[in-house]
Amino acid sequence: MRALFVSLVLASSAFAQSVCPARDVWPEGDWPVQLVTGKDAAVAELEQYAFTLDGALYGRKGLHTNGLVVIHHGVIVYEKYARGFGPENRHISWSVAKSFSSALVGIAVRDGLLDLDDSVCVHLPEYAGTPACDITVKHAITFGTGLDWVEEYENGNYQTSSVLSMLFGVGSADQLKHVLTHRFSAQPGTQWRYSTGDAALASAVAKRALATKYGADPFWPALFDVIGMRDVVVEEDLQGTPLGGSCVYATPREFAKFGYLFLNDGCWRGARVLPEGWVTASTTPSDVFVTWGGERDTNPSGYSWWLGVPVPERQVPSRWPDVPVDTYAAQGHWGQRIIVVPSEDLVVVRVGDDRQAAMNTNDLIKRVLEVVR
Amino acid sequence: MKRLVLSVSLLLAGCADVDGSPRTFANSDLQLAVGNGARMGCSCMFVMNMSEAYCREWVKASPDVAKLTFDVANKKVEASSFVSWSATARWVNEKHGCVLE
Repeated sequence: MRALFVSLVLASSAFAQSVCPARDVWPEGDWPVQLVTGKDAAVAELEQYAFTLDGALYGRKGLHTNGLVVIHHGVIVYEKYARGFGPENRHISWSVAKSFSSALVGIAVRDGLLDLDDSVCVHLPEYAGTPACDITVKHAITFGTGLDWVEEYENGNYQTSSVLSMLFGVGSADQLKHVLTHRFSAQPGTQWRYSTGDAALASAVAKRALATKYGADPFWPALFDVIGMRDVVVEEDLQGTPLGGSCVYATPREFAKFGYLFLNDGCWRGARVLPEGWVTASTTPSDVFVTWGGERDTNPSGYSWWLGVPVPERQVPSRWPDVPVDTYAAQGHWGQRIIVVPSEDLVVVRVGDDRQAAMNTNDLIKRVLEVVR
Repeated sequence: MKRLVLSVSLLLAGCADVDGSPRTFANSDLQLAVGNGARMGCSCMFVMNMSEAYCREWVKASPDVAKLTFDVANKKVEASSFVSWSATARWVNEKHGCVLE
């Protein structure tokens, strides 16, 4: 009798793992479009915020939106482009790419190709025997490697910037070597520090692991082909290592498909792309963020997604007070965003060129909500 | 004239020994400027499919010392500054866009 009970529990558990959210509307190649009507005042308010500075490119003060797409209940309800961009133009992701890298790690987990507790050296054997082997895959997707990485951009100190050196300087030819030859500033798993290097490492591990099943260019059969991101570009270094922490290029409509995958708990057309529980883990403050006692970086993150939830353990309030607390986002330099609001069945993609970090997710989404509600 | 003075200062800074600290990388501002110009210019033109005029503005950074040459036929962008500082990025394929050489 007990064996029967256990069998039933296991069977129901297996069934639960296969269940995806019910959803009737999916993009058939491209998105269905049904633009919102009767919301002129709300649309005007949104555009007053996002598109007012549709002027000279150089100078770059304030908000410079190049594209804005709103998906509500699986349908494009608002879409606008500016400054020479249109729906056919790919746009740079900058650090939005980090959320892609963590998702690709998730697919490798689903396929049994890696475990989050694996040392990165399991998948990067050329680094066996080095201090890098203390880093796990989970450390890499949660900004917890402990590496002494310096994330400074055009307004920082060029000579000490780890990321500028990786993208444009001496680290660019072999970025994995550049990342993994950084010294440690803390034991892996004990320090939360935002790092494009961590994401590059995660992406490299994902590519190696997925390549064992999907071949030399694994990101397409594993993810992009599945969700219809037909024209996505993932730039690499001279070694063939994906940049990982930046420089994915796609159209806003394609970026929205990635958001829609997360909105649907990692499922696409009823099939599970990301493992059960992955989206929840991605959108829950990571252990290393919660326990990190450092002063810097108080924006909560999960598996390389940015979160609206408060973190009482660190006295961090809700980051976006005027929007639902379940809001989360992939975020990149110059105001790139893929924003998901599950409680509103909403995905928003915004691409732009704000050289002074003018983009504010809270201010954008509260205006979008006035349009769609 | 102001730009020339700035550029000469940066050139001299680039020639200085910057290996004294483990958190300082052996890049000069000019190296980073041309690397940025080549990589971002190539991706702007051949991945984002924007115009050359747009891309010249897109890649401008401070200091704005990189001179760009767009080779549309071969899908390459070279950025240079003074005599000895240059970088080239070339388009690889539809999946991987541009790479900095």
